[in-house]
Amino acid sequence: MRAKLQTHISGNGDERRTLVVVFLRGGADGLNMVAPVQDDGYHKARPRIALKQNAALKLDDFFTLHPLLKELKPGYDSGQLAIVHAAGSEDSTRSHFEAQDLMEHGGIVAGGWLGRFLRYKTPAASGALSAIALGQQLPESLRGAPSITVLRSLADFSFGRDARKFQLGLEKLYADEGDTLCAAGRDTLGALRRIEEIRKSAYTPAHGAEYGDGEYSRGLKQIAQLIKARVGLEAATLDLDGWDSHFQQSLLMDPRMTQLARGLAAFTRDLGVMLETITVVVMTEFGRRFFENSALGTDHGRGSVMFVAGGGVKGGRVHGRWPGLSDDVLEGPGDLPVTTNYRDVLAPVLERHGAGAALARIFPNHELKPLALHG
Amino acid sequence: MKLDRRHFLRAGSGAVLVAAAGCDVPKALQSAMPFQPPSRPLAKGPFQPPLSDAVDPVSHVLNRVTFGARPGDHERVHKLGATPDESARAFIEEQLHPQRIEDDFAAWGVRKFETLGEPVGELFEYREHILLDELQRATLLRAIYTERQLWEVMVQFWSDHFNIDPSKGDCAWLKTADDRDVIRAHALGNFAELLRASALSPAMLCYLDGRENRKSRPEDRPNENYARELLELHTLGVHGGYSQKDVMEVARALTGWTVRGPGSKGFGLGRVEFHPHHHDKGAKEILGKTIPAWAPSLKKEEQVRRGEWELERLLEIILEHPATARYIATKLCRRFIADEPPVSAVDTVAAAFTSSGSDIRETLRALFATQEFWAARGTKLKRPFHFIVSALRATGAETDAPRHLVQVLLRMGHAPFTYPTPDGFPEESTPWLGTMLWRWSFATELCQGRVAKTKVQLDALRAAFGGDEGMMAHLLGRKPTPSEIECYHDSGEGVALMLASPGFQRC
Repeated sequence: MRAKLQTHISGNGDERRTLVVVFLRGGADGLNMVAPVQDDGYHKARPRIALKQNAALKLDDFFTLHPLLKELKPGYDSGQLAIVHAAGSEDSTRSHFEAQDLMEHGGIVAGGWLGRFLRYKTPAASGALSAIALGQQLPESLRGAPSITVLRSLADFSFGRDARKFQLGLEKLYADEGDTLCAAGRDTLGALRRIEEIRKSAYTPAHGAEYGDGEYSRGLKQIAQLIKARVGLEAATLDLDGWDSHFQQSLLMDPRMTQLARGLAAFTRDLGVMLETITVVVMTEFGRRFFENSALGTDHGRGSVMFVAGGGVKGGRVHGRWPGLSDDVLEGPGDLPVTTNYRDVLAPVLERHGAGAALARIFPNHELKPLALHG
Repeated sequence: MKLDRRHFLRAGSGAVLVAAAGCDVPKALQSAMPFQPPSRPLAKGPFQPPLSDAVDPVSHVLNRVTFGARPGDHERVHKLGATPDESARAFIEEQLHPQRIEDDFAAWGVRKFETLGEPVGELFEYREHILLDELQRATLLRAIYTERQLWEVMVQFWSDHFNIDPSKGDCAWLKTADDRDVIRAHALGNFAELLRASALSPAMLCYLDGRENRKSRPEDRPNENYARELLELHTLGVHGGYSQKDVMEVARALTGWTVRGPGSKGFGLGRVEFHPHHHDKGAKEILGKTIPAWAPSLKKEEQVRRGEWELERLLEIILEHPATARYIATKLCRRFIADEPPVSAVDTVAAAFTSSGSDIRETLRALFATQEFWAARGTKLKRPFHFIVSALRATGAETDAPRHLVQVLLRMGHAPFTYPTPDGFPEESTPWLGTMLWRWSFATELCQGRVAKTKVQLDALRAAFGGDEGMMAHLLGRKPTPSEIECYHDSGEGVALMLASPGFQRC
């Protein structure tokens, strides 16, 4: 029984692959983050907010990275970071709520895709800290997971007054060697001890990584700490809110782009070679309208970008089929169509993280055409 | 705002407006209620705690047949018979007849959840999260306070068996009606009726796409979703001996049943109907039995009756198959006896299911009479819901089941009505072993008074049990071991520690 448990319960100290999902809530403007600067139509449609060609940030012969995302460039160049353009969902309501819901559920299905992944993967996630949502509430994507920890910070864990004595008591009561329940209890106590060690010592990110400020950056840093402490983390979610800007969008989006790039760059640098067992996916519910509006902003659109960084990723390129921006291609009120469904980006990632035969259950009612993200 | 704008404008009566303002029980309605809040049926003690070294039969039935013993429960049940064994059996008999048990307090507690009693069409007037919130909190409140504990345990059992996740489409509005009219109405009734009610439940027709299952043109292929789960999860079980052909034939027999959704014109939202022009009228062969083709030229009313007859016949064929009795018996034994139910007990229970004509009460009576049920004491892991509710019951907590409790359960992956797939929350212990941290954390939160809108009075309770060891025996359902006593005193947080201990995780 003991031997079986070791493989079954994500233990303390055993290495797990970790999937980190960053959701940019509000609809991030993929056309300005990864700009099709070689497309003439792009400059005509966005005369005032379009990016100019910039040699230092050139991604390939067609796309340029936004200057505020420059910290992502080294990762892209070294092949750790891949970009998928014209990615998104089939939802055409252009409603934040509907689009986020659909994307987090993984279709018109009950529960979230990450939750199903954790439940149906091999072996199923059943550790005390296998799934963590950084924030105040459970994201829809994690709904249905076997056990979920929602926390704002590592300081959230507490047994209140006399915690020390309480924990000692638990150690004695859960000492029975031959018992499955007690083994699970000891496993949890081990995870707790690791978290306490993290809390006690000031954390210095490796390789001079600097995460920056704000809840998102702190969240990424905590995820890095938990991964390094090997608490058995298999999935972590984190939001970077506030991308919904309809006028003067640089006011809102600029600081967020800086934050996004700095945090992500720091995370990959901090983890170094450990990144081999980690994947970070950055997604948003939809992109923005192709045409700028009269107020230097953009309205709700369709296709946007996704970023995927981590082990085995075929980085250094912009994946996905670029549909072009001519009038006959644009969708509805003038939006970049979606040529790569977000599930087809997630599918190869989940496969790498142990989804195995469960992929069809994780994304039902969708004919998967997994993107060749790894190579 | 509980109601959406449409309802708000529509509502002329002051009562609804008061309700919309968010009061728990509107004053205008309160005076119209037939009775004042009943007093809480919690005895003050002193109480006699369990005295055996191991879990005795009385503690055993309180563990398995209820969501946990309250202060005084052990003593009360103990007095029902001359021996612990006889007392425990008498308690089961009492619980098998919920309609004879007074339950004013729990009934009063859930009156404030106005959505629970709304007719199915009216449910669409509410916001989805209000419906889910009231359903979750009412489920918790009933589990904590109802005197009809076995009924409530079976409500949970069937909710898992016929699982519907309200986050899928119209189920958000319809699950409330399913909980009331299907699950609760038949929880201790007859399985055939329960199955029929579920097959015709608007929520089930949405959840498993039954309403999309139609054949109006020769090339239409039936939607097999419900047909498959009906065989695989609701009746025969995955190895029950049916074939893919059977699934397709069952789907054909169910073509034409649908439910009026918000998209349909006119009145009758949520009404279930049979549309003969969407029904596949050919002969079907199901599990070796034939449902004949329709006679040509039936009149309209005759066609509807023919469709209804076909559904009845279909369910009869499935129910008569021996695999159904076995599958239901196995699941019941897993719930009440062990993760790996002993074959001998399953045999007995399956036989009772068949001979009683799928009567749930008789089937359970047979289960509770097996020697295997009485032998398996203190060996099952409580699922998180059971753990939380039993901790609240054991400490005599005063609570209105706030959102906080639902959040705690969400963290453990066991909040009511949040399971994503039709198989329902697992009963076995393994998937729940990752929840220890949150169990321990809840034990301290509860005892330190950190759970919102929830009060415990541990000093008074300890005194009522004649001191620490009596209190421990009450929590554990047996005398504490020397090691438990030592840990209890060393921790400075003894009651929380006992609630967090392996002994309290089991039932």
